[in-house]
Amino acid sequence: MKIIFQKESFLVNKKLEKFSKANKAAGSIISFVGKVRPTNNYKKIVDIDIEIYEKMALIQMKKIVLELKKKFKILDYLVIHRFGNIKPHENILLIIVASKHRKDGFRFTEDLVDWLKVKITFWKKENYLRSSKWIDQKQTDRKILKPKN
Amino acid sequence: MKILYFAKLKQYIGKNSDLIKIKDKKKIIEVIDELKKKDKKYKKAFDEVKNLQYAINCEYVNDKEFVRDKDELAIFPPVTGG
Repeated sequence: MKIIFQKESFLVNKKLEKFSKANKAAGSIISFVGKVRPTNNYKKIVDIDIEIYEKMALIQMKKIVLELKKKFKILDYLVIHRFGNIKPHENILLIIVASKHRKDGFRFTEDLVDWLKVKITFWKKENYLRSSKWIDQKQTDRKILKPKN
Repeated sequence: MKILYFAKLKQYIGKNSDLIKIKDKKKIIEVIDELKKKDKKYKKAFDEVKNLQYAINCEYVNDKEFVRDKDELAIFPPVTGG
């Protein structure tokens, strides 16, 4: 059960293998990797800067995980989110979830990413060849904030 | 009280934090009105950066919430991680 915020890159295979070995009771291991896109609206992205309010990010992340653990039966999780300067194609986010059955793992992972996108205090700035732009939160990402019927 | 600024708001203001004195308590919206009077940079920042969000001691609140001198207030645009 780990939440890590770091500047350094990480190797998905290594993390996945270690996590999988440590979770012998699991019948399912789900992983999600978020990456830096090479373009945005046909504009070439040179690199991105991710800013973090670390203290709040950790508190809010723990709260979200606590809520989701009430909804879905999971055995273990690992979340790594990078900040600082990151190049296209590099990894930003890794979520690995162990559960007995796959559906709990899939749903936990999807909800965690959805909540992360609207609650966790990271901000992305895309740097192009001659300009930079702070990215706006997508309206579609805000759907999670509305109660489901 | 410590005020933290992030992302576009920080860029517009030109720094990441301020220390101000609060007697008893004050609404966030009143703190912002005072900052806007402080100088043009603050006015531009708070007028132009849309949909600002607020947190007192790392918990989301709205701008009608009261802050006290010992609090840490964070003001920022909607988050874009993941």
